[in-house]
Amino acid sequence: MENLIFNLRLIPLMPFLGAAVLMLFGRKWKRDTVLVVAAGAILLSCFVSIDAFFAQLPAEGGLVDTLWTWIAAGDLKVDLAFRMDALSGLLCLIITFIGFLIHVYASGYMEHDPDYARFFAYLNLFCGSMLVLVLGDSLPVMFVGWEGVGLCSYLLIGFWYKENANADAGKKAFITNRIGDFGFLLGMFLIYQYTGTLKFTEVAAAAGAGSPLLTLSWLGAPVAFWACLFLFIGATGKSAQIPLYVWLPDAMAGPTPVSALIHAATMVTAGVYMVARMHAVYLLSPGALAIVAGVGALTALFAAIIGFAQNDFKKVLAYSTVSQLGFMFVGVGTANFGAGVFHLYTHAFFKAGLFLCAGSIMHAMSGSGDITIMGGLRKKTPITHAVFLVCWLAICGVPIFSGFFSKDAIVAGAFATDVYGPGLEWVGKAVGVALLLAALGTAFYMSRLYFLVFSGSETRASEEIQHHIHESPGAMTGPLVVLAIGAGLGGLIGIPGGLFGHPEWNLLAHRLESVLGPELDVPKATEGAFMAVSTVIALAGIGLAYVFYGGGYREPAKKFAAAAPKFVQLVRDKFRVDELYAFLFIRPIRFISKAIYRVIDRAIIDGTVNAVGMVTGAVGSIVRRFQSGDGQGYMAWFAIGAAALVFFATRPGLIKNDLRVTTTGLSVEVDARHGGRASQQPVEYEFDFDSDGKPEITGTSSLAHHTYARPGSYKLTITAHNLTWGTTNVEHERIEVQ
Amino acid sequence: MNVDAPMNASGAEQVVFWLLAAMTVFFAVFTVTRKNPVTAVMSLVGTFFSLAGIYATLSAHFLAILQVLVYAGAIMVLFIFVVMILNREEVSPVPLRFVSGFAVLAAIYLLVKFVHVADAGVPPMAPSVPETFGTVGNIGDLLFRDFLFPFEAISLLLLVAIVGGVVVSRTHQKEVDATVAAAARKEAHDRQLADYPAHDALEGGEGDEGHDAHAHGGGH
Amino acid sequence: MPTHYYLVLSFVLFLIGTGGVLMRRNALIVLMGIELQLNGGNLAMLAFSRALGDEKGHVFAFLIIALAAAEAAVGLAILVGLFRGRQTVNLDEATLMKR
Repeated sequence: MENLIFNLRLIPLMPFLGAAVLMLFGRKWKRDTVLVVAAGAILLSCFVSIDAFFAQLPAEGGLVDTLWTWIAAGDLKVDLAFRMDALSGLLCLIITFIGFLIHVYASGYMEHDPDYARFFAYLNLFCGSMLVLVLGDSLPVMFVGWEGVGLCSYLLIGFWYKENANADAGKKAFITNRIGDFGFLLGMFLIYQYTGTLKFTEVAAAAGAGSPLLTLSWLGAPVAFWACLFLFIGATGKSAQIPLYVWLPDAMAGPTPVSALIHAATMVTAGVYMVARMHAVYLLSPGALAIVAGVGALTALFAAIIGFAQNDFKKVLAYSTVSQLGFMFVGVGTANFGAGVFHLYTHAFFKAGLFLCAGSIMHAMSGSGDITIMGGLRKKTPITHAVFLVCWLAICGVPIFSGFFSKDAIVAGAFATDVYGPGLEWVGKAVGVALLLAALGTAFYMSRLYFLVFSGSETRASEEIQHHIHESPGAMTGPLVVLAIGAGLGGLIGIPGGLFGHPEWNLLAHRLESVLGPELDVPKATEGAFMAVSTVIALAGIGLAYVFYGGGYREPAKKFAAAAPKFVQLVRDKFRVDELYAFLFIRPIRFISKAIYRVIDRAIIDGTVNAVGMVTGAVGSIVRRFQSGDGQGYMAWFAIGAAALVFFATRPGLIKNDLRVTTTGLSVEVDARHGGRASQQPVEYEFDFDSDGKPEITGTSSLAHHTYARPGSYKLTITAHNLTWGTTNVEHERIEVQ
Repeated sequence: MNVDAPMNASGAEQVVFWLLAAMTVFFAVFTVTRKNPVTAVMSLVGTFFSLAGIYATLSAHFLAILQVLVYAGAIMVLFIFVVMILNREEVSPVPLRFVSGFAVLAAIYLLVKFVHVADAGVPPMAPSVPETFGTVGNIGDLLFRDFLFPFEAISLLLLVAIVGGVVVSRTHQKEVDATVAAAARKEAHDRQLADYPAHDALEGGEGDEGHDAHAHGGGH
Repeated sequence: MPTHYYLVLSFVLFLIGTGGVLMRRNALIVLMGIELQLNGGNLAMLAFSRALGDEKGHVFAFLIIALAAAEAAVGLAILVGLFRGRQTVNLDEATLMKR
């Protein structure tokens, strides 16, 4: 720690402080002040991150900053601790740097929004949560950040909550994420149950050969398989993979900077980060890795196909994000963790750039994101166009641009991996082929987007909108240019140097090796071959898109749409997955809820409450007649009450429970003495042992003795007179004598 | 009643007691049953005089005098005055109420119980009391020595009663004037609005409603 | 005379007063009923005083008479006020406590 100027804890603390200050006081502040506080917090955090990142470079195993023991219950001890190593450091740099750029961008984008301070407070809160997520030293701390970013995502998607659709999108994201979080929790519990620890380093240490996680459990699979599967369910929620990806396209309802920061660059990569972080456990279970890779590949292909037919600028990018996240999962799922993280890094730059371009374009198009009415914007928004061009080439995988290196590393790794044991060797090849198809699709739909928006000579929008088209202000274009540089050149830190005999050229890989274990060994031939194949595919996708959409909608595009209208419609409707989920899950839940509502809520709870109310009302309607306002009536009741009081208070309290009867043969002993008020007043007792109306014993003594002539069952009648008040009480008792 | 209780009272004393007791009850019943308030007040005076006599048989000479002076004198004059101011005869003096019937039954029950208790458990009469028992001197001595504080307190109460009586019964002429003026203003306002039919209907309706409510309250 | 004769008489007086208070509509008669109740109480005081040979009861009776005077003064003043406001002393019409 002594290398550090600042503590690690400052990294998440800064944005949290910023958020707290902005929430408390921001509303009254000027916009510039708000921006300085918000962006300043991130910038400081960024500086500390850079400092810490370089401080940890020589430190094996990273730096740890322990604040305090957070949970101590029995054997469970969880420290609130942060860890900075190559992996979390890289993530920190991405988050704080891109986060800062997006803050600056948002100052221009949200310029006219009345809730300026609230927006930046949420953004800061999000950055803080995300930093806790990546810096967390144990699963629970990570989970805190995990939930925190989920919350912020909800808050920011529904930022313009006055429109129902936005609020619904927020809820959808939150609920979908909750399903995943449940899986995350289950995975966490499983790991704790078998290893007794939740700390990443200790879990990794416990995941060697003969690990307790290899215990066979349900369905004959090792515990590690189930733990990884549950954690991966959490990852599918957060990182928008099949089957929980549905929230991400809807999340585009939020402001565009949010889409860029949360739903492209940072939060959605949390799942990838988590799998990379837990790589030791995943390596125990090839089956789980195969599922991760399979789901990733399927998502990459599926989302890419949906991307073909979307007409909303941000929706295309959203499906593109889902698809690219699939690439990352294939990376980590093929045990090529470094490549997955590398793609995470490059994607953060070019996707943030693409989203911010989308924001800039929508800004120019009077808020509309419909690409069918765009076109020819190359000249009208030159800076945005240039940035988009770079990012587009990056995502398509054109050589030199960042996406090329990371995508190639993943695809080559998929074909080269040997992590799946016997029987599952085909998985690597299969996902590799799927990824190549997805890469072709990516090149195609991204090019479609580019051509429809920027190429051509005329804009298809109305005169009104065309008139207002303008380049965005400097606060927006500045971050765009920086991101474009990152998207263009950022891939150079991960050059596959091994291909040229210089492994040290790859600055990233051997740094990550300290955390993620030895890099996947990809043969030179494979590496080189797939570089060529990737390039060909990227250019093929671009070329195909040019044929269809170069300079606007061309004949082939129209012909295709006319030839298979149903298929196009199906793709445009996102394969109706939302409707499928509605049918499979939402309708049954609605039905059950309604049934419960009718039976439990309406009948039982409401019934009880209403019954109480009705009884009260009925009693009240009777009792209210007493409230006549008539003083004489009140006094009459008072007199009646006095009489009743005298009547009840002066009765001799011959309490049956106290009555003691002892039978010996034919003789009976009775004690009618009782406690209470009447014992202080003279009482005369009459004991009629056979209830014939003629009392056998009369006197002031409560004790009586009688001998029956014959055995049998008799009724004893005791009459007590209170001599002072002249009141009488009669009690009966059955007596059996033999 | 316990007939066998020892009677250590002379025959004359008994005759006086029964006579006075009968008069007291008679006048008391007369008081609460007469329609005419003047008759009622006069019966009440009779009750008080008879009671004064009974007080005398209890050797409470000072209280007997006080009873005549304060009750039969001062308080009764007050009543008479008020009767003269109001002087209203009731149409049906005794309203029959469901609750009242029960209350009467309760009262009878309480009377029975009371007789029983009084018969069974009260201290007997002291055989004799000193000559000076109940004289002005003795009572005054007690009042100004042992009961000085209650005495002063009751004087304060009387003062409050005097002030209260004046405040409550005085004419609130200013308020009356204000009420009359407000009524006049409203009438003028209504008349003004009569030129506008829509307003007239609205205001008139409200006015009627208010009037009805008032009449209803009055007749209740 | 035995004490309880006086006590029963005082209770009868009290009940007659109560009857007047409860049953009459005329507020004046109600006030008179209250006076009867107070006198019933007074008689009990004096009876016990004589039975126990203790003159303290006389003092209380004295205080009760003073109280009765005050009560009559205020009560009658209220009646006059009521009459002025409503032109009636019928208690059935004086149900302000209901509102």
